[in-house]
Amino acid sequence: MKRRPSPVILALQYLLLIAAAIFAFYPVWFAILASGRLGSRLYSLNLAGMLLPIEWTFENYRVMLFDRPFLTWLTNSLIVAAITMGSSMLFATSAAFAFSRFRFKGRELGLIFFLALQAFPGILSLIPVAQLLSALGLYGSKLGLVFAYTTGTLIFCTWNLKGYFDTIPIDLEEAGMIDGAGPIQSFLLIALPLARPALAVTALFAFLAGWSDFVFASVLVPAPDSAKMLVPGMYSLANSMSVPWGYFAAGAVMIIIPVSALFLYLQRFFESGLTLGGVKG
Amino acid sequence: MINWSGRRKSLMILLFIGPMLLGLLVFNVYPIFFSTYISFTNRNQFRPYPDCTEVANKIIEPTCWGLTKAPTGLGQPFRIREPFYANYTDLLGQFFTGPSLLNLLRILAVLVPIIIAAQVDKRLGRQLVRPVSSGVVWLAGIVGAIAVALLVNLGGAYYTLLNAGDFVGVIVQTVLYVVLRVPLTLVFAMVLALVLNSDFIKGRAIFRVLLFVPWAASSLAILIALIWQFFFREQGTINQFLSAVFGIKGPTWLNMEWGAMSAIVLADIWFSYPFMMIIILGALQSIPGEQYEAAEIDGASWWQQFSSITLPLLRPAILPAIVLTSISAFQMFGTAFAMTAGGPIKGAGKPGFTEFVMVYAFKQITQTQAYGRMGAFAVIIFILLFAATLYSLRVTRITKGAYE
Repeated sequence: MKRRPSPVILALQYLLLIAAAIFAFYPVWFAILASGRLGSRLYSLNLAGMLLPIEWTFENYRVMLFDRPFLTWLTNSLIVAAITMGSSMLFATSAAFAFSRFRFKGRELGLIFFLALQAFPGILSLIPVAQLLSALGLYGSKLGLVFAYTTGTLIFCTWNLKGYFDTIPIDLEEAGMIDGAGPIQSFLLIALPLARPALAVTALFAFLAGWSDFVFASVLVPAPDSAKMLVPGMYSLANSMSVPWGYFAAGAVMIIIPVSALFLYLQRFFESGLTLGGVKG
Repeated sequence: MINWSGRRKSLMILLFIGPMLLGLLVFNVYPIFFSTYISFTNRNQFRPYPDCTEVANKIIEPTCWGLTKAPTGLGQPFRIREPFYANYTDLLGQFFTGPSLLNLLRILAVLVPIIIAAQVDKRLGRQLVRPVSSGVVWLAGIVGAIAVALLVNLGGAYYTLLNAGDFVGVIVQTVLYVVLRVPLTLVFAMVLALVLNSDFIKGRAIFRVLLFVPWAASSLAILIALIWQFFFREQGTINQFLSAVFGIKGPTWLNMEWGAMSAIVLADIWFSYPFMMIIILGALQSIPGEQYEAAEIDGASWWQQFSSITLPLLRPAILPAIVLTSISAFQMFGTAFAMTAGGPIKGAGKPGFTEFVMVYAFKQITQTQAYGRMGAFAVIIFILLFAATLYSLRVTRITKGAYE
């Protein structure tokens, strides 16, 4: 057993943890506080007002929900993110299964080649992607965004799922094959159900790629307010001089809290999914 | 194993990988070729359109493929530059001159004492009885580094390099940001992980959840960064706090060069420490307790236990994480763009003090539309990041053995 630390050290440790917890939680807490205050009063807070919701109104929430295109942005982003998630899971799971189970020429090389492609940063492919989409007539449309996001997530998703498929023993599939299952059956009926934890984590990642992106969403959809995605829409609110910051805070709270809660709920799941899969050469 | 051969097998494999490969070819491989091609041209806001009668454009320029009607408009078509690598010399030119390289050497000289300390420490570690502890060696290394920094006038060298052209300046300030952020995040995460791993702290589960909040919120990084930006505004929360408690009128943080840099580093530590903390906590829990018991019996102090048991055993887990976070920090976009958008400005037409690599690229693409130059920029950054990725693979492979 380790020595018990002296009371002074123990107190310091608690102090450090409390300070760190405040540091970690305060930005989110501040957004909650600000969302309950009317715009200009955010610039004249007293000490208590910085820490506690001594003043509260739902006005900001009402404005965001009914007078601003917040719900339209939310729907736009949800649609794009959901389709991105679906299509990238469809492509990535089948490719990952093939890379894990089949042996073919160029398999190893292909996997390394994907990592090399991954090194090309998304922002720098903005010009070619915009050119491609405008040539295809998809510039400014949701479908164009879905293409950009899906292809952006494919490599990570494939690597992650391939890592997980590698950890599933092949015996079950071999037993299935003796009973006459082909590769498609063994993929759909045996491997996929076993890979559920990794599938959940990867799907969440693919969803977030579409949900949280700013760069492509702001450049590829330069359209009017109603066509905007959520994050660029919120960005334009926060930096506008004429819009009270409280509106932004209310919107941010409505987006951040559910997503964070989902993350914290899935945390254990998430860690094990990432460590079981992950990049293993 | 799947045991057929010939055409059926190839078809089956194609069915499984085909869609993914097609997507990658169009949206990941093609952009690299495209960027390389336009990096040789003078494409910019005045010459935005391709000349579709040229063979090269017919092949590589999607708007010339005839899927939709060819672009027309004001301005001339762009051309290959003379010489074709002119964009590269524009970007790198000022870097490969005597004064710039000399300044780089001055900066690198600061690392020499630290490298010497690492080597000495390694050599001493092989001996049975250490004449001096590793803490002393490292301390000497750091003191040496500070002495060298004063000797070569590190700050002066940094500023001269910062002004040696847009590209060099952007790279240098991005590297400075990575050098500030990654070690600070590591230390912060390490301290928290060590405390959280202690058996004598009550309520660890609650602290764990609270400390993971930034990680949970980081999927919407740009929105949180906008909250951080509000904190640092002239009448933001930090200045209100300063005036309420100390009666000081705080500065406009984000308009000060170092204020903006520190604000971004602080906000980014907030985003990135939980990941490090998870990694370190996981590795800490895999260290067998007997090792500490044995050390305890031998009378080892806390520092001796930490430096001879904990740190070496954490190394295989931390090293790949450091390389990966450095690569992602180098590519950081959201926090800097949301907080300062690259500012404060250095002068007209110059990148601002916190205009890091990706912020610079984004602003150049969306505002000045210097596509040709950005193509060259993309190629150079790609080569750098590709090398870094290969290095990270090597580190992961070397350290992997430690767990198996």
